[in-house]
Amino acid sequence: MDAKSALLLLGLLALGSPAFTQTQPPGYVGGETCRRCHPNIWVDFFKNPHYKSVASGKAPPERTGCEGCHGPGGKHVEAMGGKAAIVAFSELKPAEAIDRCLACHSKDLGKANIRRSSHTLASVACTQCHSIHRSPANRFLLAKVQREVCYGCHAPVRAEFSMPFKHRVNEGFMECTDCHNPHGAWAPSWRMGLRPRMVDQARPNEEPCLRCHTDKRGPFVFEHASVRIEGCETCHRPHGSTNARLLTRPAVFTVCLECHNGAGDFGRRGAGIVTQTPSHNMADPKFRTCTLCHVRIHGSNADQYFLR
Amino acid sequence: MRTAILLGVWTCATALAQQTVAPSPEQVGPPRGSDLGGYNITNSFELGYRFLTQGGDLGLYRSQVNYGDGLRLLSGSLGVYSREGHGGPFDALVIRTAGIGNDPYQFSSLHLEKNNLYTYDLVWRLNDYFNPALAVANGQHFLNTERRLQDHDFTLRLTKNVKLLAGYSRNSQEGAALSTVQMFDDAGDEFPLFQNVRRLDNEYRLGADATLFGARLNVMHGWVNFSDTTPQSLVLPGQGGNPVDPVTLSQLQRTEPYHGSSPYWRINLHKEAKAWVVGARYTYASSRRGFFFSESAAGASSPGAPATRQTLVTGRGSRPVSAGDLNVALFPMSRLTITNQTSFYNMRMSGDNSYLEVDNATSAVSLLNFQLLGIRTIANTTDLTYRAAAWASLYAGYQYSTRRIQSIESALFSSTLASIQGLQNNHVNAGLVGIRLQPIRPLTIRLDAEVDRASRPVFPLSGRNYHSLGGRIQFKTRSLLLAASARTKYDTNSVSASEHSSRARSYGLDASWTPRPWLAFDASYAKLHLDTVSGIAYFASDAFIQGDRSIYISNIHSGNLMARFGLGQRADLFIGYSRVQDAGDGRPAALVSGEGGSTLPVFLAAQTFPLTFESPLARFSLKLHQNVRWNAGYQFYHYTEVFQPLKYQAHTGYTSLLWSF
Repeated sequence: MDAKSALLLLGLLALGSPAFTQTQPPGYVGGETCRRCHPNIWVDFFKNPHYKSVASGKAPPERTGCEGCHGPGGKHVEAMGGKAAIVAFSELKPAEAIDRCLACHSKDLGKANIRRSSHTLASVACTQCHSIHRSPANRFLLAKVQREVCYGCHAPVRAEFSMPFKHRVNEGFMECTDCHNPHGAWAPSWRMGLRPRMVDQARPNEEPCLRCHTDKRGPFVFEHASVRIEGCETCHRPHGSTNARLLTRPAVFTVCLECHNGAGDFGRRGAGIVTQTPSHNMADPKFRTCTLCHVRIHGSNADQYFLR
Repeated sequence: MRTAILLGVWTCATALAQQTVAPSPEQVGPPRGSDLGGYNITNSFELGYRFLTQGGDLGLYRSQVNYGDGLRLLSGSLGVYSREGHGGPFDALVIRTAGIGNDPYQFSSLHLEKNNLYTYDLVWRLNDYFNPALAVANGQHFLNTERRLQDHDFTLRLTKNVKLLAGYSRNSQEGAALSTVQMFDDAGDEFPLFQNVRRLDNEYRLGADATLFGARLNVMHGWVNFSDTTPQSLVLPGQGGNPVDPVTLSQLQRTEPYHGSSPYWRINLHKEAKAWVVGARYTYASSRRGFFFSESAAGASSPGAPATRQTLVTGRGSRPVSAGDLNVALFPMSRLTITNQTSFYNMRMSGDNSYLEVDNATSAVSLLNFQLLGIRTIANTTDLTYRAAAWASLYAGYQYSTRRIQSIESALFSSTLASIQGLQNNHVNAGLVGIRLQPIRPLTIRLDAEVDRASRPVFPLSGRNYHSLGGRIQFKTRSLLLAASARTKYDTNSVSASEHSSRARSYGLDASWTPRPWLAFDASYAKLHLDTVSGIAYFASDAFIQGDRSIYISNIHSGNLMARFGLGQRADLFIGYSRVQDAGDGRPAALVSGEGGSTLPVFLAAQTFPLTFESPLARFSLKLHQNVRWNAGYQFYHYTEVFQPLKYQAHTGYTSLLWSF
């Protein structure tokens, strides 16, 4: 008899002991039994957030310890182990894994939109980002450092954060969750349509950029309407860019002129976005750096043209 | 929640795709820590010295990388856990730090928890921010500021069903900045203005979380106070940025402080049953700010005549915002999930100011301004997920949203009221569909498509006829990951007098292979393509040019290669290379005339912007003792623009001791 079989036998003996059968409901064996065959998982489990319910000793068996997630282990023990006789997350379909985690976590405030999040729609299960037993992260049991978890599927985003101008995610100053909620976000209040779907809101209902860039928040007497109506992405690329200040274009005058072209029925008044006045001679280099004069381009208290 | 998630930021995982050479992610000390009393303790600290040798444009380097010389606490980690979950004052104490000392990106966090009683989270961050404003103001604007962010969150569990929540956040920005001021008329010259940036934002939060009759109710009230007291002064009296311009500025005094507050309420409700889940949220925020602007200037106007001007502006702005969402999820059968979200957003920004300007040429100008911008958006989204089989699921969604934008722009000038009112309504119909296939266990295939149609987009760059197609295929086993993805996004927003068309395509390839515990490889490649064409109109030498086009073409190739070798039990070698190259549209030099859709050469020169940014790195880590590692690393940064003379190269590196005790 090898060591594993001996441990399993010990577990079976424990299952049959009077003390055990008095305290466990049918099918449940208790965490101590699991511990005998899975010592490597148990030895550090006191650091795991899920250990809280074990420590309290007040939670019912189906909501605590190993069997709180993996279901009753009686048949697993009787079968001397194996994934067929217990809930093994590696064998679950994505929706089943999500349902098991949400049995406890669905009421978390940050998961209010998890049923309609892009991740859930695309059958991305909790276990694709979280590793309950082998997490190198001390918090939230992520399978890797957070940015690596995200980059694992979002290769173009990883490329954007490798750009010369970028938010400092790779440097450890920021994390993806500063702006995104991977469990799904409320509808964005700063634009229309289905996108963005996973961008979290700062404060109660603002675009997350304004959480750090507080000087752009206003309220201003003269708001640059595009900031409020279509969001910062009108002019900036939030992840990273080859253009300074994360602008969408390498030269600022093209950013401005592509909207301020007087065309069609655009704009708040439906008369087009106003063009320059004749005093702006684009042949003169001075007028090509628009923000040289329009210094308060995000909004101004004093001047409707954002000059001061 | 964000604060809490941030605590997971800095971990010592063996992250292969590391982009910065330090801190060292290798472990030191006994992996399970040491037991002391009823606690288990793990800790390590990495103390090291960074070095830098830099050539080329220093401002550009500082704006993109910014690592410097000096001694650093590159990383720190302390974890104290009660072994039985019944510790004394706490059951978990976790501290993490990175870059403390003088790194441009510093981070520290503290997590303190007593099971079933309280949780306290602190995150503190500092960003040394330098920006020479190359693209926006010819380098005449820059920022050299430090931004400090801190978030505190405390949760006290009163009973099994009731928790008290309290929090505090602070965001400050301080440092030197350069701006410009333009004098004395529309065509006047611009002058550099020094700013000692002082911005502060404080937020206090108090709330409760309760479970009542099976429903969870969360109520939060917050108060945000913000201010900007940045003093400004003229850098150098005399001529401005254009030497031929006769305008001079001999004296300028300006002060423009503002203070404001933004109290808010947030209410969340969640209730679920076996076949349904209902969630609702309502928020209300009322932002107000008062400001004062005072400026006095003296110099010479464009004809060269003496000019003095005094400007005084006072006023206030307010922006009450209410937003609400109602989520319903239904599970009519085990294979089917239906969700619906109805959202509304109502914002009413209004502001007024009294503008008084006195100068020696036109005497006094007095204006009363009033502005209003109101946005009301209502959206309804329905999504359906159907799990047809263990290997196949599909989803579809539809959203209808309507937005009403109202604006009033009024000015009272010499008893004459000029007022312009606007009203815009826009409707968007959007749909998406997707499928996920898993024909064999390691293989996952995802395909999706989205179509948006907007009736009356508000801006030329807004989406009107948008569609997106995307897909991802992944093969994943325990030691091997291969993935490929592609996505195209097309949008056209054409009207009779102008046009805007955008095509974005992205492709990604990922591979990671860990054949042995001591050997790992990671590679990724992405191509990001963007080409846009937009109608523009502008003045050039008194001629109004219409029908011109602004074109932008970007072809970015980005790649990362990383490898880690474990050399016996004692040493680790990590090497990597990352490269970003915007190949533009392939032209060897900037166009200055000829074909290109625009008549003005400067627009031709801005159509594409090829550049290269690359960074090889290597790190060696040697275990000297069970509790001590010596690390040394080197990272090279090289940035060069093809059409511009801007470039830099930087040799950075570090050596450190990682110590566990």
